[in-house]
Amino acid sequence: MGCHDIDDLIEALADAEPVPADVEAHVASCAQCRARVELARAMDRLLLVREVPAPPEAFTLQVMRRVRQERWRVEQVVDAGFNLAIAAGLIVVVGGVTGLLWSLGWFSIDVTALSAAVVAVAPWTTRLASEAQTLALAAALLSSALALWWWVEGGGEASL
Amino acid sequence: MDATSEHELLERCREGDEQAFRELVERYKGLVFALVARSIPDAARAEEVAQDVFVRVYRGLPTFRGDAKVSTWIYRIVVNLLSAERRPPRTEPLEGTGEVPREFGATDRAFDEMTLRDRMDKALRRLPVHYQVLINGHYLKGMRYEELAEALGLPLGTVKTHLHRAKRQLRHLLETEYR
Repeated sequence: MGCHDIDDLIEALADAEPVPADVEAHVASCAQCRARVELARAMDRLLLVREVPAPPEAFTLQVMRRVRQERWRVEQVVDAGFNLAIAAGLIVVVGGVTGLLWSLGWFSIDVTALSAAVVAVAPWTTRLASEAQTLALAAALLSSALALWWWVEGGGEASL
Repeated sequence: MDATSEHELLERCREGDEQAFRELVERYKGLVFALVARSIPDAARAEEVAQDVFVRVYRGLPTFRGDAKVSTWIYRIVVNLLSAERRPPRTEPLEGTGEVPREFGATDRAFDEMTLRDRMDKALRRLPVHYQVLINGHYLKGMRYEELAEALGLPLGTVKTHLHRAKRQLRHLLETEYR
């Protein structure tokens, strides 16, 4: 048995765990292996008494500050999305009301001005008309998203 | 902390109770900071990483299912952040070099221990992260074998074996690079 064979058992020897008798015999007669066992024991002693690094006093305060910043960033994104959704919703509602008033004849515009306006927006209106179904679907999705947002906000009364 | 109170604390955190999250930080900051600070020599950076651990905990609250203990989850985050923080080792692993150690204890023991402490701190930072966490966690007396096993994804029965391997690698570093 050589020193190399003992190496895997040095930590067990240092911990006073049982090892085969020939291992103990080798260590008793080998200065190099004894030095290794002694080094392993010294490491153990030092690891046990090593100073435990303590967090600074303001650690919790700083963590809470960062958590609030984190929450603020998330809220910024949610708020931006909400504002966009509100704007899109308003456009849909105003468009719908205007269309309704127009169809009922309660909404009159100077014909000349209207003609000019129609010419200007004609390509858009044609396109919007052809995509009425898509717009309706988008409005429905938007309403669902808003309802969901409202529900989530209502669920977390006291957010961090 | 028993499982029920830990679960309750987690639920309060999820509900947005700031006091509960503060309590969570207070409970784990000692161990988290110690584990991180022992692996990262730069004190300012260590503090930042320790804070990152809790920010990650906060971010993960909505998705944490509670299959593992909160402590285990936090230690896993520690391991992940330390791994990300880790620079590539400067040299190859030194296991099995067979070099003869300087005979320890032959002269002045106090002086030997003082220099050994310094060398050991340096050598510890060279170990793979999971070995660092194993040794630091075990000797901090704050982490039980079960927690070490779960945090590092090891079978419970092999923790002691891995601990011996970690210490052996540390000893090899001391015998060779940090003599």
